[in-house]
Amino acid sequence: VTHIAEARELRGFDESLQMWTDLQTKTQALSLSLTSQLRLILTPSQSTKLSGSFRTGKRLNIKKIIPYIASSYKRDKIWMRRAIPTKRAYQILLCVDDSSSMSPDNGGVGAAAGMALESLVMVTRALTMLEVGQIGVLGFGSDVFVAHDLTDPPLSSYEAGARIMQNFKFKQEGTDMVRLVRTTIDRFRDARLMQAGSSGSEDLWQLALILSDGLVQSRDHARLRPLLREALEQRVMVVFIIMDEPNRNPGAPGRGTGGSGSVLELKEARFGPDGIPVIHRYLDSFPFPYYLIVHHLEDLPGALAGLLRTWFAEVNS
Amino acid sequence: HPAGMEQPELGPQVRVTFTTTEADLQLDESKRQLLVPADIRRYGLSRILNSESMLDPENPIPFDFLVNGSFLQSSLEDYLKDNGLSLESNVTLQYVRSLIPPVFEASF
Ligand SMILES: [Mg+2]
Repeated sequence: VTHIAEARELRGFDESLQMWTDLQTKTQALSLSLTSQLRLILTPSQSTKLSGSFRTGKRLNIKKIIPYIASSYKRDKIWMRRAIPTKRAYQILLCVDDSSSMSPDNGGVGAAAGMALESLVMVTRALTMLEVGQIGVLGFGSDVFVAHDLTDPPLSSYEAGARIMQNFKFKQEGTDMVRLVRTTIDRFRDARLMQAGSSGSEDLWQLALILSDGLVQSRDHARLRPLLREALEQRVMVVFIIMDEPNRNPGAPGRGTGGSGSVLELKEARFGPDGIPVIHRYLDSFPFPYYLIVHHLEDLPGALAGLLRTWFAEVNS
Repeated sequence: HPAGMEQPELGPQVRVTFTTTEADLQLDESKRQLLVPADIRRYGLSRILNSESMLDPENPIPFDFLVNGSFLQSSLEDYLKDNGLSLESNVTLQYVRSLIPPVFEASF
């Protein structure tokens, strides 16, 4: 990660504090809803594994039978019991798209940018209430920056929120998704090593949530596939949440007259060697296997919970 | 693959929104937003609009494109550069029937 804090223009603290406070109030009910849905998914109350060596239990430990007989039935701790659920620890990175496509009219906060900030506040609040582990916030565009480190104190005050909010101005002149995914994998690798040093007994899960308008240069789609495979091998789950609220700002320039502007409708034109244009749906080559398209903020808690539930079911099967 | 068989390297893209004031040449709402190669010029854009999946006219119609009130005369990439804009921009292109006689079409 390149630290370019000196070069990056920050939003004023008072304005940022006001923004965070307003968004926290606005998303309070949704945060609570997300908290209760995630509690069921992220913190298992029952272990399915049988383990250990006990005098009584649920199932015989076959490996203990021979020593049991050989010891003339003295070494009789031959039973396994249902273990106390392994405590899961999470490291979660929220990656917010700070590129200027998020805010097309450049003046105020554009449609996708507004929704990304609302989602950021809602999700960080929900995760903080759950107390499941470390939460970090990255911003990305042509570069990647750290708005809140995994090892920073929990986000329990308005002031801490405001300091995150200061970083996002949606003016970066590129969307380097390859750099973001590379940085995310690297940071998670470092964070896993640090975690292992402090408390090795916990079961560590790493999750990256990308909040973006979903506009990635198509040539990067192919370069992202091997990186996403690498993330999977490192047991890092990457969820791409596309902010797509097409009619929020219909009068804004550049959004067409009544055109929906939804990424679902977006096409791309490529010219074949014969010079004939071929037109595809943009999302057909989208490389992220786990993605959600959110049209309204109210859809996010249910959609995110559903996707994580599916993923845990797949991992545990 | 032998080098010649490989897919041509994809270049950068720009997002455009097509609009027009010509009542008989309106595009469906779902066809107005498109990612196009950044090095595209008037002729390439005209070909896209004429393609089967876009306007698909009986006879090809050459188009000109207005961007911010003036005719597009360079590539989109150069237009953005000259106006201090990045590839993150969404460029609104208003298409009009070209006044250039079709015979000149080949020279673009
Ligand atoms: Mg962008």
